[in-house]
This record gives sequence, structure tokens and C-alpha cells, in this order.
Amino acid sequence: MQDPFVSAIVYTPYVMRAERGVQAAPMQSQVNWALLGLVIERPSYAYELARRFERTYEGVLTLSSVSHAYTALAALKDRALIEELPGTREGRQPKPHYRATPKGLEEYGQWLVGQLDEGLRRQRLFVVALATFTREPQSALEILDRYESACLTEAQNTPIPSRAGARVGGAPELAARLAAEEGRLALGAKLAWVEYARRELNALAGPREAAR
Amino acid sequence: MSLLELECVSKRYREGELEHLILRGVSLQIDTSELAMVWGRRGSGRSTLLRIAAGIEAPDDGVARFDGRDLARHGDDVLGGGIGYCQKLTGAGSQAVLEVVMMPLLAAGIAAGLARSRAREALERVGASGCATVRGSALDTSELVRVALARVLAHEPRLVVVDDPIQGVDLLERDGILALLRSLTAEGVAVLASTTDATGLSGADRVLTLMEGELRGPVPQELAPVLELHRRGARQASA
Repeated sequence: MQDPFVSAIVYTPYVMRAERGVQAAPMQSQVNWALLGLVIERPSYAYELARRFERTYEGVLTLSSVSHAYTALAALKDRALIEELPGTREGRQPKPHYRATPKGLEEYGQWLVGQLDEGLRRQRLFVVALATFTREPQSALEILDRYESACLTEAQNTPIPSRAGARVGGAPELAARLAAEEGRLALGAKLAWVEYARRELNALAGPREAAR
Repeated sequence: MSLLELECVSKRYREGELEHLILRGVSLQIDTSELAMVWGRRGSGRSTLLRIAAGIEAPDDGVARFDGRDLARHGDDVLGGGIGYCQKLTGAGSQAVLEVVMMPLLAAGIAAGLARSRAREALERVGASGCATVRGSALDTSELVRVALARVLAHEPRLVVVDDPIQGVDLLERDGILALLRSLTAEGVAVLASTTDATGLSGADRVLTLMEGELRGPVPQELAPVLELHRRGARQASA
């Protein structure tokens, strides 16, 4: 028997396009990808996944409500990235559990690696936007100061990851440690870049200031 | 009154005919149980600032006070017991770590038995009790930092000044050093440290950005009028 709630959602224009053999557009929703990651971590049912989502992605991604998780799961199932675990619909209160498909694992890995491109794209956007100030290097230098200050504050606010019990800690602890370390190293690179950009802009500002 | 106060501190070095201004009117305050991290690139004046804060060097202008006492006049009295300046360990190759930690205590006239027990306690405090019988040459960078801190802590200082404690320390070991510094503040010790590395800023109560000898960011409210007077004086002098 099919979950009536899910079936009501999954029969979307996307499915209709798929049925007609039209290639699916890439999944854009960060929430959907994040939820897929949680299913990969541990197969589960919608409500539990929603709770786990809130704990794991607190301050990073937001589920508008628990029903948002149902919608996201339906989309994942629709794309054959997850599937229902057999035998989890039985009983008076059925809780269909979901697990990742091999396709889900593969595409999740691709999406993760793709995040690097996304990060680089954002950083490039900032750099290009800053470069528009080349006629006003002093303004660019002031923005750099504020950017540097924001990086330093972020570095200061990153807690020292505890390595106590590193081997026994579960996925959330490991994720927190990895995220903290990635963040701190990235901030270090940004601060080194600020230093480089400041020298370039100072060199640019020097002759202009002298000409005034 | 703050534990450590630097008021409009400047420092110059001469190199032949050239004069380099290393610190330019630096003002800061460090309170008990505070972990303040000075962040700055190579050549920003970090080490000079820390040596002045520790009372090892005197400023050319301005004043550095520890517990209300001018460090230029009382530096020798407070170094050790009041302020612990943590230097990188060199020349400790052939000695056992316990002896390395004991040495300054013995030099300060503390009896051998007491010096030994205080050295053991200090090593335990920094998580290096397992190194007590190991020769200095066998220590890795992280252990050398811990032992250097133990040497300082054996004197029970109220302020620990440490220059770039995570420099050269393996990424996985850095957090242990930072956590150690943080734990000192929980015991009531103030820590003034420096770093060139963003990873070293984690957990700091305050980050002081030093750039070309100048401290960036807000000036402590209490020092703002003094600093303004200093600036006016400097402007008048240059006019």
C-alpha cells in the first residue's frame, strides 16, 4: 500500500516530466541534500529525521516545519535517491522508514564535492565586487578592514574542538570537530588573502594619494 | 584596576642611521582570568609588545604597569612570581624534562625537594607528567610548548605571557595547547598570548589586532582620554 500523504505530494510536474522522459533538473534545495545526508547517516522516519535535522544543522539550515521534511523526503524518493524500508508501514501507526539508494549515495557525494565550487564562486563574487573599488582604493581598504575584523571575530568565536573521546564520539561530535577545523583553516586562508589584497591596494592608493 | 595595563606604549629600534618604530602608542588592559590573544603578521611588533608586557623590555614612551606597578622600575621583582614569560625551550636536549622545569626554581633559591614536587605538579598541570624522565631532545614541538609552560607555571604566576605557542605545532595538537591556556584562566591566571594563525584565536576572550606596531580595534574606554592627550602631544611635537 502506498503512503497516501507521500503519493499526494510526489505526483508533481517533475514526475510528469520524468514520465515523459524529460531529464530532471539538478536538485537545488540545500535542505533536501542535507536531509539525504541524514538518511545516509542512519535510515529513519520523517519525524525523527526532522528532529535530527534541527539538531545537526542548527544555525546553518532551517526546516520551516516538520511537514517540510515530508515534502523533502517525497522529493528525494521521487528522484530515487531514497527508498522505503520494507516492513516499516505495518502496525496501527505506521512509520515508513527511508534508506539511501546507491544512486542517492553517489549523487550525495557529487553534491558534497560540488560545494567546493559553490564556496569558490561566493569568494570570487566578493573579490570581484571588491575590485570594483579600484578607483577608490581607500574605500576598498576600509572594507578589507571590516572583512578582516569579521574573520577574526569568527575565528575567536569558533570553540576549541574537544578531542576528548574522539574515537567514541558519534557522528554529530565528529561533524562539529570537522566543521570547526574546516572553518578555522578557511579563515586563516582568508586572513592571508586580506594581507595580500591590502598590500596591492596600498600600492594602488599610494600614487593616487600623492597625486591629490 | 586591571592586572596589566599598557598606556600609549611606543618602542623604537636603531639600525645604524635608521630608526624603526616597532610599537606606536599601544594601549591595552588585561584582567585576571582573561585570555587575550594578540594577532598580527610577522614584523607587526607582536614579540616586542609581549616582552614589554612581561617587563623584559622597557618602552621608550608610555608606561606598562602590572598590578599598578611600573614594570620599567619593578620588572625584575614581578618576573617569575607575578608574570611568567614563556620562552621556547632551547638547549634542553640532554637534560631530563623534570630537571628542565626544576632549574629556574633552584635558581630562585627554592630547596631541591620542594622544587622537585612543584616541577612535578606543574608538569601534571600541563598534561606532560609522562615526559618527566624523558630527555628534552626526544620531545616534539607540542610537548616542548607544554614543558615551557610548566617551567613558568611552577612559579605560580598571575599572568602568563606566551609568544606564539602554536607555531610549528601539529594541527591536531594545537587545540590541546589552546585548551591548556584556556584552563589556566579558569584557575584565575591571566594569559596574554600571540599568534599569526587564525586557528590560534579559538576560545580567546579578546583578540587584539596588531598591525605595523598599532593596535586596531576599540581602545579601552578608560584609556581613551589618555590616548587622546598622547596624540595631541605627538601632533604638537611634530608641528
